[in-house]
Parts: sequence; C-alpha cells; structure tokens
Amino acid sequence: MIFTDLFSLTFLATLIRATTPLLLAALGGLFSERAGVVNIALEGIIIFGALAGAVTTQLLDPTLGNAAPWVGWIAGALTGGLIGWIHAIVSIKYKADQVISGTAINLLAVGVPGIVLGFLYGSSTESKTVEHALPQWGFGDFRFSPPVYFAFLMVLLAWYIMYKTPYGLRIRATGEHPKAAASMGVNVYRIRYSAVIISGMLAGTAGVFLSIGFLNSFTRNLSAGTGFIALAALIFGKWTPLGTLGATLLFGFFSALSITLGGTDLFPSSIVQILPFLFTIIALALTGKGTAPKAVGKAYE
Amino acid sequence: MSQSYQTTKSATSIALYTSLVAGLGLMALPYLTYARNFSGAGTLQMLTGKVMDYSGFPPENLPSMDLALGLGWALFACLLLSAFAALRKASWMWISGVAGLLVAALAMISIHVSLGQATQVLLDQNIPLRRIPFTSGGANMGLVLGLLASLVTVATGLSGFKVWRERMEKLRWALVPSVSFLIAILGGALIIIGIQSVPSGLSSPLTFGEVVLGKFDLIYFVYSTLFAPLTSLPDFLQSLVLATPLILTGLSVAFAFRAGLFNIGAPGQMTIGAICAMLVGVYVPLPAALLLPLTVIAGALGGALWGGLVGWLKARFGSSEVINTIMLNYVAAGIFVFMIGSNEVKFFGQTFHLPFKAEGFEAKSAELQPGAHFPSLLYLFGLHKVGDTISLSWIAGLIVLGIVFSLIKNKNRLWIAALSGIAVTAALWVPMTIQATDALITSRLNVAFLIALLAAAFFGIFLWRTARGYEIRAVGLSPKAAEYGGINVARNTILAMVIAGAFAGLTASHYVMGGALDEFRLKQSLPVSVGFDGITIALLGQSTPVGVVVSSVLFGVLDTGGMYVDQKLDALNRDIVTVLKAIIVLIIAAQGFLSKKIISPPPAAPEPRTSHQEERKEVTA
Repeated sequence: MIFTDLFSLTFLATLIRATTPLLLAALGGLFSERAGVVNIALEGIIIFGALAGAVTTQLLDPTLGNAAPWVGWIAGALTGGLIGWIHAIVSIKYKADQVISGTAINLLAVGVPGIVLGFLYGSSTESKTVEHALPQWGFGDFRFSPPVYFAFLMVLLAWYIMYKTPYGLRIRATGEHPKAAASMGVNVYRIRYSAVIISGMLAGTAGVFLSIGFLNSFTRNLSAGTGFIALAALIFGKWTPLGTLGATLLFGFFSALSITLGGTDLFPSSIVQILPFLFTIIALALTGKGTAPKAVGKAYE
Repeated sequence: MSQSYQTTKSATSIALYTSLVAGLGLMALPYLTYARNFSGAGTLQMLTGKVMDYSGFPPENLPSMDLALGLGWALFACLLLSAFAALRKASWMWISGVAGLLVAALAMISIHVSLGQATQVLLDQNIPLRRIPFTSGGANMGLVLGLLASLVTVATGLSGFKVWRERMEKLRWALVPSVSFLIAILGGALIIIGIQSVPSGLSSPLTFGEVVLGKFDLIYFVYSTLFAPLTSLPDFLQSLVLATPLILTGLSVAFAFRAGLFNIGAPGQMTIGAICAMLVGVYVPLPAALLLPLTVIAGALGGALWGGLVGWLKARFGSSEVINTIMLNYVAAGIFVFMIGSNEVKFFGQTFHLPFKAEGFEAKSAELQPGAHFPSLLYLFGLHKVGDTISLSWIAGLIVLGIVFSLIKNKNRLWIAALSGIAVTAALWVPMTIQATDALITSRLNVAFLIALLAAAFFGIFLWRTARGYEIRAVGLSPKAAEYGGINVARNTILAMVIAGAFAGLTASHYVMGGALDEFRLKQSLPVSVGFDGITIALLGQSTPVGVVVSSVLFGVLDTGGMYVDQKLDALNRDIVTVLKAIIVLIIAAQGFLSKKIISPPPAAPEPRTSHQEERKEVTA
C-alpha cells in the first residue's frame, strides 16, 4: 500500500511543490557563490520576498484583481534583489565577512515582518489572505502555480547562462580567480554585484511561491529553513545547475516523504525530516571542500 | 591650565556640533512631560513655557516648573558656552561641559521633586497611587539631548589632557560597538517616525506642528520605555533572567570566533544540552548534592558533543563549520520533537513507547527531581517570603571598587579601592535595602546567572592566561602561522568547538533547571532563537567576556522593555528590538562604512608640547 502511495501522481506533485522553493533559492545561491560571494542570507531573502509578494498582492487586490499576484511576484522578486543588493554592498564594497553580513540580513528578516504586519494589519504573525493568489496551471493533480514552471525552466536558463554566455564565463572566472579575471578586463565588482542581485531576485521568487503560489497569505514561519537547505543542496550539487536540480529533488523527495509518511506508521516523520540534514553532513564530509569556487567567501581587494 | 593641553580638530568640531544641536533641541523639542496615559499620549512642557496636551485629559493643577525651566535656560547658556569654547577656547570645554552636566542633573531632580510634591498632594486626598497621573512624568527629549551633549563636551574637553587621552584610548575597543548602537538607535527612530502614529486622545486631528513635536515625543517615549527596566528592580531582574542564556550563547559564539570559527550552531547545542540535562535531572536517582552538579555537567556535555562533532568534521574532513552547524541545528530540533513530541512512535507498523513526554496535550518532559531544581537567586540571598529585607549596597560597593581600581595608578590602589568600596557599601546599606515584594519573590533569576558569570570568567582566564588558550587564539589569528609554529591546528579546532558547544549547552541549567520556562522541565517553548542572538552578542561584545556580559544585559533590558512597547503602542511591537539588533550586526559587519577615526587603531596622538615645568622636572630627575 505504501509503495502505491509513493509512486502515485499525488506524491510526484507533492515532490515538485516541495522542490520548487528549494530549487529557486539554490539557483540563486549558485549565481552568488559562483561569483565568489557566500549567500547565507537566502533564508532571509525568501522571507522578504514572500512578505513583499503577499502584501503587494493583498493591497492591489481591489484595484487590479487577477493581475495583482503578478505584480506581487514582481514586487517580491525586486525586494529580493534589493536585499541582495544590500548584502552586496556590505560584503563587496565594505568587505565585511560575508557570513556575518548574511546573518545580519537573516536577523533583519526575523524582525521586519512583525513591524510591517503590525503597521498594515495590526497583527505581528500573519498578513490578510489574498483574494487572488497566483493561478494554478495544469491538469488533474498536476496543477502548479507559474513559479513552479519558472523554477524548472530556470535550471536550463542558468545552465545556458553559466556555460554558454560571456557573462557566465565572467561569473565563473570571478569566483575562481578574481585577480586573473580582473587582469583580463573583467570588472569584478560589477559581476559580483549583478550576481548577488540576481541571486536575491531568485530567492525572492522562492518566497513569492511560498506566500502566494502555494499558500495565500504570509505567515511568520513559512520559510522554515528553506534557504539553509537550499544552501546545503547547492553544496551537495557541487555548484552546478544540474547538480543543484538533482540535490533539490532529493531534498524535495525527503520533504514529500515526510509529508506522505506523516499519516502512516512506517517511520516517525520527525526522523524522516532530519534525514536530508544528516545526508548533507555526510556528503560534505565525503566531498570536502574540493569543488567549491576557490574565491568564495573572500573579499576582493 | 597648562600649555600641555591640546585637542584635535575633530574633537572640537564634535563638541561644537553636538552643543549646537542640543541647544536647538532644547528650544524646539519637548522639555518635560507632566503625565502620560497608558498608550503614551502625554502632557508636554516646552522650555519656552508653552504647555502642549496630547492626552485629552490634562492633569489638573499642574505643578509649578519655574525652577526646572530656569535651569533649562541655564543649560542653554552652558551649551552656548560650550559652542563658544569649542570655537575659541578649547581648554574651557570641559568646564562648560561639567557645568552643563550639573545643571541638567539639577533640572531633572527639580522636575522629579515638583512632580513628587504634586503626587503627594493627591495622595493626601486619599487617591490611590496608580490613579495619579504625575507618576508617569519626567524629563523629555530636549533636556536629555542637552545632558548627552554636555557629556560629549566633557569627554572631548578632557581628551585634551594627556592623562585622560591615554585613559580614553584604552576604551577604543568599545567605540565601534557603541557607534553601531547609536546608529541603530537613530535607524530605529526613523522606523518609529515612519510607522507609528502619534498617540493622541484629542478629539480633533493634530496640526502639522503638533505631529512633528508628537513624533519626537514618541521617539523619546519608545526609547525610555525600552530602557525603563534599568530603573525598576523587578524589571531589571527580569532583564537579567533574559540575559543569562544570552551570556552563555554569546560566549559560545565568541569562543569559536576567537579560534577563527563561525558557530551558527548554538541553537542545536543548547537543544542537545537541554535534552541531556533533562535525562539526568529526571531519571538518574541520586541525592541532590550529586544530582545538581551532574545535571549541569550533563547539559554542558551535551552541547560539547554537538559542538565537538562539528569541530571534528572540520578538522578531519575540512568541511565548513557554517553549513554543518546549521544542519545539526535541524537534526537537534528533529531529535527534540522525536523525544518529547509524542509517547508513541510507529516504526514499520510496530508501535514503540517512548517514556519521555509527560502526560497531556503539550509537548514537554516530566518534571525534574526536586534535587535538580535551582533555587531563585534572591531566595539564596535570603529573600524567602514577602517582607524579608536584604541590602544590595555591596553591588554598588563592588562597582565603585572596580572603577577606583581602574582609575588610580598607585601601588596601594587595591587597598584604596577596597576601602572606598567598603565605605560605599556601608553608606548605602540602608538606602539600598530592598524589601521582598511578590514580583521579587517570583523572579525567575536563578543560580544559572552565576554559572553564566563563572563561564565568562573561565572564558577570560582560559584564553588569556593559559598556554592552550594562547594556542587557540593563535589558530584563530592565522591557522597557517600557528601550524608553522608547531601548534596542532586540528586538535585546537576540535577543542574550541567542544568548549563553545559546552557554553551553549549550559543554557540548559537556566531553562530546565532554573525553571525559566515557567516549569522545571524541558518544553517545546525552548527559545532556540537565543542561539542566534549569541552571534549578535559576540559581535557587539567584540568577543571579550566583559563585552559579552555587558551586551547581554543590554539586550535583556531591551527585550524586557520591548514587551512594554508591545503593550502600549498598536503599530509598534517588540520586533523593533530585533530590527535594532539586526542593524547593529549589519553596521559592525560593514564597519568600513564608519569613519576611519572610529575603526582604525589609535591615530598618532598629537604630541603635547611639554611645559617648562615638565622640562625642568626631567632635568632635575
């Protein structure tokens, strides 16, 4: 009975929904880290994106109707890009420790939603429900909101940008050996800024998916570590788009598994939930630091 | 004075601008508050004599404030004098600054006395204390700005003397955190202006001018509420309760920083520590004399295991401690839920029974054996029931001892400091005697606070007074150089993470053994975010034990004050405190954005011209 559960279309749909925010955030992390900037702020950016998406949609609902969530998506992505830009300024221009800068942004993401929600809705934990969430496209159980399709399309796009365009070459060079890249006429600062901003926009989209593509309001704990898991998936996927896809699908599988097994008597779901983290620790130990971009985490002087 | 007096140009301009701004503020901002209603709307007094009411119910028979207003004008004169001194005669600055400080202090006392008299009149009419509006009054932003500006003028003025300059240079490490804190306060003020409307009980809408003044009063109200726990003993004890785990997690992150490691794993380490402490405290049958220390040690060992694992992974496989600590946080959370989330675990269709969760709906463990309960600190000091009294003047004595000891340079300074400490203790014995009230008896401040202070002392002694501590700091400064110097980097990395984890694990003593979760058991409400706050604390405290303790107490105060802000204002809630913390970290991280004068090591101090007398002394010597 359990196997029919696991190989059903419902399970596959759950898997895809669980993978989407991870994939978007991890691809965001890919851009940033390949350019040499650790982006531990992904978790916070997801929250900012989710908040901006939900609040914008909710406020524009009465005037824009069906178009509101699309504007909300743009707002969420732009907000993510803005937060990414802040991370970039702090860690690239002022050469702060990138992990500390990211931690500060994550901390900001704990405090700001409460203030915004308090100001707009008089509550500190959740926004009002949006009238129009993003539409669900597809058939049968396979009905997903547009960010889902966007996420999987983005894998191909990221692969193409990273390996087939001059911009991707510059990103990779900047992350491996910024001085050499600079001597070839690459503007290291500009590449890093743009990569971190793209990273923020993708993570912001992950947030938009969570708030108005999956749920229909912003709630305080909706991210629940997605950004950190995405970071782990990025490492697990060896900083490549396809590897990242594989890793996030694996994490998504575990996540879907714990949802599906929650109602059965096979495994306690709390144990299934910690498997991906254990997995990451073991995988990290086995792969070591070998495949990381060489200049990642180091400020460029 | 003498010719050896010399200030820098930036010092005089700082004094000039702060004095001018404060002088302007004195004229334009509310000077004092007669009374405030619960949601913050107040009856304000301008220095110019105008009374502005926002509450809608201004208290009757406002007390006369003529003296306080007169002193305000005197303060204004002092500020002008400071500005003049900064421009023309720098050696006067400290004098005008001290005068300003005195006048401002007198003004505050005068306000206090006037309001106290008005309160007494009402008390005599048998009106209950909580119904009297004047008890919520006090100084306002105009006066406080003047006080702060005078303080700045004194400091900049004194910096002209070589002796004082050298003393101040020693405090340079505190400059970046303090400036970051100030900027966060300013940023917070902008947020307050932006999102919170002026509290008003008036029936008509406010005019533009009233809104502007009201916003400044609002900023003052929010910050005075945030810092209010400093002025009330029960609230201050509550701040120390909140500070206790922060000290420990702050030490944890700071210790790892010292070894060049970034410990984001304090939440996981404290969770595992709490689980281990619970297991020993609930299930190991021992007499209290053994059980109590063993439970504390179990908590520390649990955390040490979780931290050490990360250290080992780093030393053995080179995998980043940042990712591993984050992952282990989730693993710890999973284990926690597994253990106390439910009694029954289903495994391949079989049902297993787990004994850890207590009966009932809520996820919590059984209660610790009575032998593993920490008494409340005040109980330990002799406050057993309502009405008992103790004197806390020895704390003031200790503080005076510390200050005197650090200020004088004399071979008998320990004796002088000890004597002055004893003198202060004796002099304040009666005034500082407190009587136990309900709020004090029920305080959750427990022995874990002392453990946290001991841990801070251990941190300092171990890192700066032992060979192993030296090795860990060497690894932190440069692993390669340390390796070359014959230091075993791998072993020290593991040791550093073990100790860091043990610090975080010790929070169990506070939460589980000290009853800080309202009961003496492990509960789902274990606030893991305290582990992340440790990062902020370590950064703000510059990874020094004293810095960590001071920042933790500061955060405890803000967290306690945040609850009152939450209750009193509708748009603003306690998250403002979290945002302030985040801004602090962001600015400390990006300190390149601050002026070079703040972040760089001491600038070459201008060499003071030696006076004739000093030259002669050298010749005769």
